[in-house]
Amino acid sequence: MNLDWLDAFLLQGLFQVVMVLGLALLLHLQMGLARIANFGVVGFWGLGAYAFAVLFVKVDWSLGEPWPFLISMAFGAAVAGLAGLLVGWLIADLETEGVLVGTLGFATSVWILTITEQELTGGALGMGGLRFPFDIGKTKANELLWFGILFAVVALIFFYVYRVHRSPYGRLVIAVGDNEPLADSLGKPAFRTKLWLFAIGSAGMGLLGAIHGVMAHLLIPESIGINVTLAAMVGLVLGGMARVWGAVIGVILAVGLFDVVVQSYLPLPRSWYTQAIPVLREMVFGATLVAVLIIKPQGILGDMRRDKLTRRMHGG
Amino acid sequence: MELFTDSIVIGLTQYAPLILAAMGLALIYRLSGLINVAYSETITLGAYIGMWINTTFGFGFYATLLPTAIASGLVSVATYLAIFRPAKQRNAGVLEMIIISFGLSIFLRHGLQFIFGYPVRFYKVSRPDVIRVFDVGVTTFRLMALVSVVVLALLLYWVVQRSRLGLQIRALASDEDLAQVSGIRPLFVTVLIWFIAGAAGGLAGSFWGVGSNVAPLLGWRQFLFIFLVVMVGGVKNIGGVIIVGAMTGVALAAMTLHFGQVLYAQLTLIVAFVVFMKLRGSRTVGAGKV
Repeated sequence: MNLDWLDAFLLQGLFQVVMVLGLALLLHLQMGLARIANFGVVGFWGLGAYAFAVLFVKVDWSLGEPWPFLISMAFGAAVAGLAGLLVGWLIADLETEGVLVGTLGFATSVWILTITEQELTGGALGMGGLRFPFDIGKTKANELLWFGILFAVVALIFFYVYRVHRSPYGRLVIAVGDNEPLADSLGKPAFRTKLWLFAIGSAGMGLLGAIHGVMAHLLIPESIGINVTLAAMVGLVLGGMARVWGAVIGVILAVGLFDVVVQSYLPLPRSWYTQAIPVLREMVFGATLVAVLIIKPQGILGDMRRDKLTRRMHGG
Repeated sequence: MELFTDSIVIGLTQYAPLILAAMGLALIYRLSGLINVAYSETITLGAYIGMWINTTFGFGFYATLLPTAIASGLVSVATYLAIFRPAKQRNAGVLEMIIISFGLSIFLRHGLQFIFGYPVRFYKVSRPDVIRVFDVGVTTFRLMALVSVVVLALLLYWVVQRSRLGLQIRALASDEDLAQVSGIRPLFVTVLIWFIAGAAGGLAGSFWGVGSNVAPLLGWRQFLFIFLVVMVGGVKNIGGVIIVGAMTGVALAAMTLHFGQVLYAQLTLIVAFVVFMKLRGSRTVGAGKV
């Protein structure tokens, strides 16, 4: 297969966009619908990546391909999901401030553990030995196939989120997010709903983290910084926190602008890309959060579009 | 016994800026119910302003403290007037306010990085004198940080609990409309609170800065612990924050000595505090809404 037309930077950029899109969609469930302010997205993402990598690299597998790989992937997602269950149990009935401190604390804890547990994670030097579960020739071809797999996973996440919006379960989640005491008083299990939603979202983030680890080949503690959470949040807030398509539009605009357009198409000096551009990107992201939430808090797409049933009930 | 006295001396002096910063964050939280993530950048800016005054005008460290406090207070007021007040007037919710402060924090932090670049900066000060307290060497800078905590704590206690202004602050935090009807000017009181909080944060930043170095991430690295102290200490009165802050410092120092690794100490503290918050339940900590 001739892949000369495909720039390596472009592929990396697109991978980044789709990765953040997946995180933003899951964050949409947690923060947009259930109103759980998850500021620890990167914690679950990083935990998934490291759990996958530790099992895949450190265990002496006797099973044939692709089983070690698939089992490790599932393990990464499961560990992140269990962490989501634990963190969710700790924070689901706290005020927004409590949720903020709990999730930030969790992300920091994961980061601390990646540094201190050198035996498992390689500490600050990082952890290598991650590779694609297939080899179809050149690096670029392998990366393209892996990008396709990520794309399929994120498409599935999108489909799931889309279904949630149009299901009784989705209405329950929205009701709990809107007014928890009311949902509680009507006999809906508000705490349990939030807990499971949070755990499932976290497991999805863990799976995405594992997929990232394979593409990056190397996991270092610096790669699980707050900027991952920030990118997902900016995309979600910019597009519209309460809308399914909000995450899609916001991430394409925000992350796409920097990681694809600036990275691959602007004629800027090479040295800018390592120094100035990443810093500028974060500055613009931060300013975007402030500006959108002050000027148009519902984001580009505006308020939630209810499904047919609720619209009929509201007579709209 | 040695571990005990060592932890108390190290904990109280090394972590005095933590108590100072927590008092500032708690003041804003008490008045407006806002956890201001950008407060970490007020701290960082304090360190940069102090370092700048010190290296440009050749002021000694102690001479930089007053101008640093005033400048950081003004920065804090500016963020309130430019960002948080307009947001509040547009009825932004609690979650939205937190995300706004998070965005502002990211913007300021990377703005500092853009201007000053990656290399860390240092204060140009001669080596501080070391005083031996219970056989533990303590630099005068750290003692000065502890003194600032005591001074600010007494000042706040007097202002908030004893003076007429304090009455206004407490009235405003519990019911804004009623306070306004009684002739309290919300804007004046709120601006004053943001100024005091910013000054406390800036001082904390300069103590941290002179103790090690000045970098864009200085405030953010401490923010989680400041935040935990405020959440656990509660904000009904500032005393709870001071006590929890002091205990946190001592606990961190003791665990660091025990594990020989500051990261494990921090990890234990995060887990302990979050579990404590869960056990305490969802009781609100009594913050206002201005």
